Amino acid sequence: MRLENVAVVGKREYLQRARTKAFWIMTLILPLFITAISVLPALLLSKSKAYQRLVVVDETGKLGADLVARLNFRESPKPKEAAESSGRRRARDESGMVSFEAQAERPAADRKAQRAALDRQVMEKKIDAWVWISPGVFADKPVEYHARSVSNVFTQDALRDELSSIVRQARFRQAGIDPVRVEELSRSVSLDPQRVSAKGSRAEGSLGAAVLAIIMFFILYVSIIMWGQQVMQGVLEEKGSRVIEVVISAVTPFELMMGKLLGICLLGLTQLTIWLGTLLVITTPGVVTAMAFLPPGVSLPTLSPVMLINFVLLFILGFLAYATLYAGIGASFNNLQEAQQAAGFAMIFVIIPVMIMYPVINDPNSRMATVLSLIPMFTPLLMPLRIAVDMPPGWQLALAYLLTIGFVVGMVWFCSKIYRVGILMYGKKPTFKEIWKWTRYA
Amino acid sequence: MTPILELRNVRKAYGDFVAVADVSMAVPPGSIYGLLGPNGAGKTTTLRMIMNITPQDSGEIQVFGHKRTSEDLQRIGYLPEERGLYRRMTVIDQLVFLAEIHGLKKAKILPDIQHWLERVDLAPWAKKKVEELSKGMQQKVQLIGTVLHQPELLILDEPFSGLDPLNQELFRDLLSEYRAQGKSVVLSTHGMELAERLCDHICLISHGRAVLDGNLKEIKRRVGGNSYRVVAEGDLNRLQELPEVEQAAVNNGVVKLLLRPDASGPETLRRMVEFLEVHEFRSEEPELEQIFLKAVRDAA
Repeated sequence: MRLENVAVVGKREYLQRARTKAFWIMTLILPLFITAISVLPALLLSKSKAYQRLVVVDETGKLGADLVARLNFRESPKPKEAAESSGRRRARDESGMVSFEAQAERPAADRKAQRAALDRQVMEKKIDAWVWISPGVFADKPVEYHARSVSNVFTQDALRDELSSIVRQARFRQAGIDPVRVEELSRSVSLDPQRVSAKGSRAEGSLGAAVLAIIMFFILYVSIIMWGQQVMQGVLEEKGSRVIEVVISAVTPFELMMGKLLGICLLGLTQLTIWLGTLLVITTPGVVTAMAFLPPGVSLPTLSPVMLINFVLLFILGFLAYATLYAGIGASFNNLQEAQQAAGFAMIFVIIPVMIMYPVINDPNSRMATVLSLIPMFTPLLMPLRIAVDMPPGWQLALAYLLTIGFVVGMVWFCSKIYRVGILMYGKKPTFKEIWKWTRYA
Repeated sequence: MTPILELRNVRKAYGDFVAVADVSMAVPPGSIYGLLGPNGAGKTTTLRMIMNITPQDSGEIQVFGHKRTSEDLQRIGYLPEERGLYRRMTVIDQLVFLAEIHGLKKAKILPDIQHWLERVDLAPWAKKKVEELSKGMQQKVQLIGTVLHQPELLILDEPFSGLDPLNQELFRDLLSEYRAQGKSVVLSTHGMELAERLCDHICLISHGRAVLDGNLKEIKRRVGGNSYRVVAEGDLNRLQELPEVEQAAVNNGVVKLLLRPDASGPETLRRMVEFLEVHEFRSEEPELEQIFLKAVRDAA
């Protein structure tokens, strides 16, 4: 095998595909999607008047000062944000998305004129909104809220929460109950999930780890299938356009196949790098304070370097195993329709891991998960899943790599024999028996 | 002179079907060598074996004076019978790729590509994808791709089939240039007239066997001693019945007559006038087609 030939072929495969719009759309759509469902909502809300200058008019004389103080100095659960908010004399709600700059105003003698004046201020954008607390508030009468836009549900939520809690405290005080005691006594209870396994009880990997494992699994799944099929289509195209004969008059079929595999593998890695990069940024603590699509209290764990390395290595091995098979299939048939049946058969190897994905996440060290993740065809998809949830023992990982590398070498050896004969075979669709015979040609 | 390409008793069978039974040939440097034969004779298989696309079952193939290596193949320009290019590559990328798989560097070959594209009027199409080109233009691209790396030996399978007249002209010029530079060309064709015009050497293949091999002029001299042109009236088909007549091709009152080597021309003429009114009887060079038919019959 001459490496320069492999490089020339690989370069062509890489550049031809990297220059297409389809590649970049496919590559950028996933990060955009992930960003959209995680970063964007938070970003949008923080931009969309999450900061409000608010005038509070209190007729009751009991609530106004409290509300203004709470809105401006409200305690935040995160120390960093608390410091920030007190520093800027601005309060934030719990998700850090809404802040106020509130000021109280005494009710004037002419209420009508005062309301009109406040409305004018809103229109002139001197303030963003005003609330009017009438004595009826203790009799369940709604509090008036006037703003240029009233679709800012998050801001209204925050305001309503504050109002409710102040009114509630006032009611407690009227009834002779200490509101601080009430708050203290109405704490909720949390659960600490422990999974019982052969090794005894231990804290279960968080939901975040499972989510990350699933995301990684599907990235791998999509990449391996997509790029494997690219190899098959590439082979079929060379065969269909008959360019193959010119090419293999200068490079050997093996060099051509390896060049194709490596070129497309590198392109897959390029895409993977972009995808993982996005994931890395998103899972970095502090970048996304609120993962909009995750249940409250769950955040994605950071991608560890060990995970990343395993992920990339297993992608390469998984790709090589599947893509080599696809190369053999592409070479055996004359067109995509003919190849479809065999390609469908090859899909079994990626579909089985999908079917047992949830059991593996749930119990990554069960006998089934262990055995299946050591079968080379399944290792590239199942091992990352186990690694993400709970690092498997070192010997299992080593064995998995050893078996998979051996398997890839075997696949390359076997499929290159089919490939060599198949790429020059035209005419009727070969049977599997005939293809089997090709492997025994000298 | 060492042959630039030599085949010794090469054989290839697919299962029970013997595509090439036994072919030996030697291509001298600086020549255009024609591999002739009807469809299915084994020409394409022979050329594919030379390019190591299909390995031979037995026999030996020598290129540039030694046993063929994969490096040698990069010094050969090959045009397969079934033409094909990457449809979605631009003309220039395509040619760069074809040059690169023959061991050339992109920077070095770009001026050559430019030169070639200008020569065949394709320069404005350099950045277009191959699928946007007409069939004739694709043929030109393919021809450039075959000769771009300045091969010392060209292997062309039916180079003129499907070519429009302009491209045929272009190709013939190219072949002459090649011969003038002392390089060699092996081409297969079933068009005898074309081979007669172009080739210095020929190898006739029939049913997978080389039945005749050598310098075209020598072959003609050897076989042609007993070839005559006859213009006559009467039942011309009776000529075939004469024992010394090897072959009598009748066309519009003109007969191309090939006699057995030991037969005498004047003797035949004497017999002929008994049943024909002969206007003309003269000795001439035989046509390749006659030689071919005779060789096939002799081999059988």
